[in-house]
Formats: sequence, structure tokens, C-alpha cells
Amino acid sequence: MDAESDVALDILITNVVCVFRTRCHLNLRKIALEGANVIYKRDVGKVLMKLRKPRITATIWSSGKVICTGATSEEEAKFGARRLARSLQKLGFQVIFTDFKVVNVLAVCNMPFEIRLPEFTKNNRPHASYEPELHPAVCYRIKTLRATLQIFSTGSITVTGPNVKAVASAVEQIYPFVFESRK
Amino acid sequence: WPDPGSFSEVAYSQSTGQKEQLSRCLQRGIRRVQDLCKVLQLPRVFEETAVSYFQRAVQHPSFHMVSLEKKELLGGCCVFVTCRQHNWPVTMGTICSLLYARQELFASVFLSLQKELELSVPALSLADLVKTHLNSFRLFQQAAHVPAPFVEDKEKVVARTMQVVELASETWLVTGRHPVPILTAAAFLSWQSLQPRARLPCTLGRFCRLAGVDLPPPAHLRLKELLEILLRMASQLAWLRVFKLDKKTVVKHIGDLLQHRIFLLKKAFCQEDGEEQGAAAPGEGSPSSPPAQGKGCPSGGKRQLEGGPRPLLPPCLINPRKRLRTAATSPSDSAVTGDEPISDSEVEQYLRGPEEIRAFSEAKAWP
Repeated sequence: MDAESDVALDILITNVVCVFRTRCHLNLRKIALEGANVIYKRDVGKVLMKLRKPRITATIWSSGKVICTGATSEEEAKFGARRLARSLQKLGFQVIFTDFKVVNVLAVCNMPFEIRLPEFTKNNRPHASYEPELHPAVCYRIKTLRATLQIFSTGSITVTGPNVKAVASAVEQIYPFVFESRK
Repeated sequence: WPDPGSFSEVAYSQSTGQKEQLSRCLQRGIRRVQDLCKVLQLPRVFEETAVSYFQRAVQHPSFHMVSLEKKELLGGCCVFVTCRQHNWPVTMGTICSLLYARQELFASVFLSLQKELELSVPALSLADLVKTHLNSFRLFQQAAHVPAPFVEDKEKVVARTMQVVELASETWLVTGRHPVPILTAAAFLSWQSLQPRARLPCTLGRFCRLAGVDLPPPAHLRLKELLEILLRMASQLAWLRVFKLDKKTVVKHIGDLLQHRIFLLKKAFCQEDGEEQGAAAPGEGSPSSPPAQGKGCPSGGKRQLEGGPRPLLPPCLINPRKRLRTAATSPSDSAVTGDEPISDSEVEQYLRGPEEIRAFSEAKAWP
């Protein structure tokens, strides 16, 4: 196996987090009363609303800020956020769907080989940090992409980044380094 | 002499005198660092380094507003970092127990310290830790609570434990795991193997009680994994095959197995080198992953073949946990652009009807 030869790796996106604003005040009590699939957390001042399709959970604050989690692609996250905004409109709020932004993407990728973590950490300081007493994986940070990778000895890699493109670039960048430390 | 009239006035705040005053927090912290170094019997140079790290940390803006509890742990973190930088074997557990600290809080302070001060902390060497860990065992001298056949020579136990730990390291039992349970399991097996006749009936729990050490919960699992590896290796030794060894009796032959460790590992487990094994079977990983070129045996996730060599993989790949299956994405899902029109009927499923609202508000009785 050569690091330079073409290797097809599946990157499975497991979670996309996005935010948007409604540009109006939201009455959380009204949402809790008239909305279905809603949990009202009065002590922390927010409402959780779950949509079935796409399967996302929205956290709604009275200021009009909404965070949506659980989507498996950026497009799905946008669609879910818009559907939520429409639901709030139907409840009678003057919602304007603005400031939509994907803030975090979590993805998983499996390498076709096991990785020697101590060797990988030694070869990749200071970007790599390995503390087996705390966590079984190596934590590798790519500052330029604002991405963090958790590399496990089984070859499984969990990537978090600001968007899907950054996640894909992070996997491309890390591949030759993990390949060097493969078993 | 210069004319005193030519001297200019200097305010006290600008003089060095005030800057040299140490705050009470800093003085207490430095004393704590020094005490910790004395308890751990560290060389003088370690103390100086740890104190300098502590002074830098306390003056760093990110540690100004932290809780007192965290500030108290900062000194311990500085000592821990210093020990690691000098390859002095000490675990986080040891520092936490000396400071009566929660490991999660210690870990967060340690990671913040490493990041903010940009300290390079080398990995902990398990081989170095063996000797320090075994120093705390009370089985190397005659004592009232220790039966005579259980007393053992420390150097012999250390040497054999190092070999067992190396074996564990080569067979994926160490990577990603806490070091102390592996050391405890390895020390137990080594000690048992030196006089198996008298010591086989002794359990791991009793061994730890006699040695005066804590029994970490994962140690039983590590012991089980080590014994499985040893049994596999023993099946490759011709003169041991006739004995039909089990997890108890294989301990008697640990000496032989460790002596021929490299050869037995090659025979007992699949190798990755395709030149030795010839054409390889494709792996059973994800459909689009490349075939496992160079592997002479099926990859992880497949059940091991009876009697055949088992792939040398991390234990979690040999016995994978069942994962919840997520629904496969349909072609229509993957065609989502995010800007599709949303019909009223789609939205109405998330709204309650008037009767439902009335019933819900009566049930909740909100003001």
C-alpha cells in the first residue's frame, strides 16, 4: 500500500450544527403551548423543538436565536432550519430567516489500517496530543482549518470542523501522517 | 560622588521593590509545589523548573479568574509536566491522590496549562513506569500478613513484568488504555509465574490486598486479554500442545513463552506483510475502502477462524460492540439542496390543534 496511490475513504457526516436568527422576540411559553414535540426548559430560558424530517433538534431562545443540531448534511441542516422558521411563522411570530450559518460539522472516517498512536504522536508534535490516562485517542489540531481530529488505534478518525469542506481537507491532510504510523 | 540634587524622584510603584513582592496566592502555590517535589523525592532541578512554570502560569491571563480549586491544582500540574519532560515516571493518578483532587478537574487544568504555556509534554514510557509502580508493592520483604511462599525478589518480578508489558504493547493491549491496570495485571502474572505451584490459587484481588495496592477495575479485563494472548502463543509451542493448557496452567510456562516471544507472535497471529503471505483476501470493511492489500488474513470485524492464525488487532476490533444501525440515506435525501419549498401540510404536523392546546394548558396549569 502506497500513501500516494488513490485511496477511496468514506467520510460519514454524523452531525451538522447550524444557527440562524428570527429577527423578532419569541414567546417561549406560546411555543411550548402550541407547538408539538416541544420541551420547555423554563429554568434555563429555552425551548427544545424536535423535527421528524429531517431529524433535527432545535434550541430556541426568546431573543430569536435558534441552534439546530442532528442534520447529516449542510443542505439538510438548512432545510430543517427553514422548516422550523416556517413553524414559528405559523405560530404567529414575525419571523425573518436570517444569519443562517453552519457552525460545526462532525464526521467519522475509517482508515483501512491500524495506527500506532505513540509513534504517530512522537512524529507529529506539537499538533498531536496523546494522554491515554484521559482519552484513548490522539487529539490532532489543524489550526489553519480550525479542525480537530481524534485518531484511534483502530484506524477510526473523528473529525470536527467549521464546515464539510474543512472536514474533507482535514482528512486529506492527515492521511499521509497516519499512513506513516500504520501497523 | 554624584550630586544628590541631580537625582530625580522615583515613585514607589515604579521601583523594583513593589514588583518583587509576591502575592499570597503565589507564595502558597510555590510552597505547595516545593512540598510536592519533596514528597515525590524529585531532584532539585525539577523543583526549580516546576516553580518557574507555576510562576508563569499564575501570571498568565487565562489563569487569573479561575476558581481557587483549580489554582491549587495548577502546582500539581506543573510538577507533573516537569516529571514528564524529564522522563520521570509518574502518573496523573499519583498526583491526584497526593492533592486529593478529582481527575477530571486535574485533566482540564493540565490541558489548559499545556495549551496556554505551549509546553511540550513527551509521552509517558510504560517501561519506566514499571519500576516505580512496583516500588509500592509490599511483597518483596517478609511481613506478618504475607505468607512465606508469596515473598519474591523484586528484581526478578520487575524484569519479568517488563517483558510482559512489552508483549502487551506489541499485541495492542496498551494503546489507548490506562497504564496502571496493565501494570497491575502484568505484575500479577509475572509474580505468579515465578513460583506457580504455591501462587496459582491466589486471585488478583488477594494479590493486590497483600501487596497493599488498589485494584483498578479494568485490571481483570487486562489479565483476561493477556492470558488469551499467552494461550494463543502456547498453542504454537510443540511441547506445550500436548498439555491442553488453560488460563490457569499457562501461567507455569510464561517464562518459555516470553523467551520465544517474537517467533511465537509471528506463528500465532497473522502478519501484514504481503510478501510473506502471498495473495490476500479482500477485507470486509466499508464497501468503498480499498482491499486490504498485503494482509494475509481477514481484517477485523470478522470472527476468527477456528485453529487458524488470528489477526493481530486491537481487542475492540476482534470483538466489536453492536452498533445502532442508522437509516441508510435514500436517493431523495441525498438530493436535498436546502432551498426546497415547504408546504403548509409539512409544517402543520408540528403545531397543536385548538382542542389539544386547551387540554394541554389545563393539564399543565400554567399561570
